[in-house]
Amino acid sequence: MEKYDVIVVGAGFGGPAAAKKCAEAGLRTLIVERGQRPGEKIVSGTYVPLFGAPDWIREGNPPLERAAYGWKYHFIKGGDIYLSIKVSFPFPISYGMYCRPMCTWLAEQAVKSGAELRTSTTAVDVIKEGDYIKGIVTDRGEELKSDILIDSEGLQNLLAIKAGIRKKYIPDAIELCLEYDFEMDSADVDRIFEDHIEFHFAMPEEKVIAPLGQGSVVYLFPYRNSIHTCIGQFLKHEGEVAQTSRLLETYYENYFQTRRWKEVIGPKAKLRAKMWDTCPLYVGLFPEMHSMPRCGNGILLIGDAAGFEDTSSGAGIANAWYSAEIAADVAIEALKAKDTSAVFLAKYDELWQAHPVLPRSISDRGRRNLLQAQKDEALMVKLGFEQWFNSVYDLIPMLNLMKPSEIAAMLPKV
Amino acid sequence: MNKRSKEVIPGVEWVPGTGDFIKINEEKCNGCGDCVKVCLGRCFGLRRRKAYVRSLKTCFECAACWFVCPEDAVDFSWPKGGTGLRTEFG
Repeated sequence: MEKYDVIVVGAGFGGPAAAKKCAEAGLRTLIVERGQRPGEKIVSGTYVPLFGAPDWIREGNPPLERAAYGWKYHFIKGGDIYLSIKVSFPFPISYGMYCRPMCTWLAEQAVKSGAELRTSTTAVDVIKEGDYIKGIVTDRGEELKSDILIDSEGLQNLLAIKAGIRKKYIPDAIELCLEYDFEMDSADVDRIFEDHIEFHFAMPEEKVIAPLGQGSVVYLFPYRNSIHTCIGQFLKHEGEVAQTSRLLETYYENYFQTRRWKEVIGPKAKLRAKMWDTCPLYVGLFPEMHSMPRCGNGILLIGDAAGFEDTSSGAGIANAWYSAEIAADVAIEALKAKDTSAVFLAKYDELWQAHPVLPRSISDRGRRNLLQAQKDEALMVKLGFEQWFNSVYDLIPMLNLMKPSEIAAMLPKV
Repeated sequence: MNKRSKEVIPGVEWVPGTGDFIKINEEKCNGCGDCVKVCLGRCFGLRRRKAYVRSLKTCFECAACWFVCPEDAVDFSWPKGGTGLRTEFG
């Protein structure tokens, strides 16, 4: 039986960040990851804002694909775009990345700091001693003991459910996303996308956007020499479960018939991957979901496992990093104080609630009800624009304190 | 016939040896077919008014089936470490 100060479950985005901090503080730290390589089981299609990201990520030269300097919103009718809005900034607002290379890099930094990484190892259960979580059991039957378990397993929360502190998320809060990845010559990506992320909106009758979609969008993310697309569908909405498996593929086919794709993007794009995954996109809007505990005796939850989704940016990845650093700090203090009780670890709740971004992800502040917008075209345009522009509101105080050139200087060059 | 098993899904790999990591609890299953509706891997079917697992060879381990089941009849767990889905492009 092996014993660690901290065991982190999941080498996705949050796990390695928490493990690095714990290891740097001298704690004997283990990360367990069920994939052969970190990040290979995550399908996210992601652009992440790096403003508040840990220094070692911003300054460490991670494998970023491309910097985006804004967004373009396109509104589709009759198979063509009839309205476009372009929002641009003089510095990168977000960075595109692929999960496998990025998570592998993050895990490497944690290992360099002294954490141990075990891949191809699935945590199948927790070890309980009395009321305390004291480790995990692996799929090989090994018992690995910990004083603190940092659970970064993702939205399925299987371990946290076994630990008795979480329940399965409701299907109304879960979006199933079908994502395609296309190779594209970087000169074509530059020319067509102009370093802007694209969101396409349409009314339901266009049959391009899934009817139970979060915000009626098709996402197009430009990477270095590829693009990544996503169409999502809630598993359940107002009691209805859609024929998602067929619907998403059909809507993609319809989207590929729209003029911009057919004439501009499609001819330059070569399909190389078709993937899907679930995303906890509206967990924060359901009180019964976001009021579930994020810590217990000997256990802390971070990232999607803690419900820290982010509807505005769509990527809970920055939130995974913020919550990881806070959880690591609390774990370090708890081990110094030799107190891993839920009472002590409740410090985690105090700290994340005081964070400038994390509480927003589990409230309805700043969200727009785009499900309502699907009934009214003018409303769709208004709310579609506001939904994404709202995430810019957090930039405004920063713009008052720093010049754009200063902001640009602190962000990675890609 | 599982059409999905005939389709080549680009950019992803499946490592065998997963074990039966998703099972249907027939006693709890009410035959609603929601798992069949949501599974992009087409891993499920319906027979004799019960859902069943056709194949997990195209499972993306997303747990949509588990989330959507109204009767909690889908026993979802992770495949054995190092097996199942792998992708470079997620």
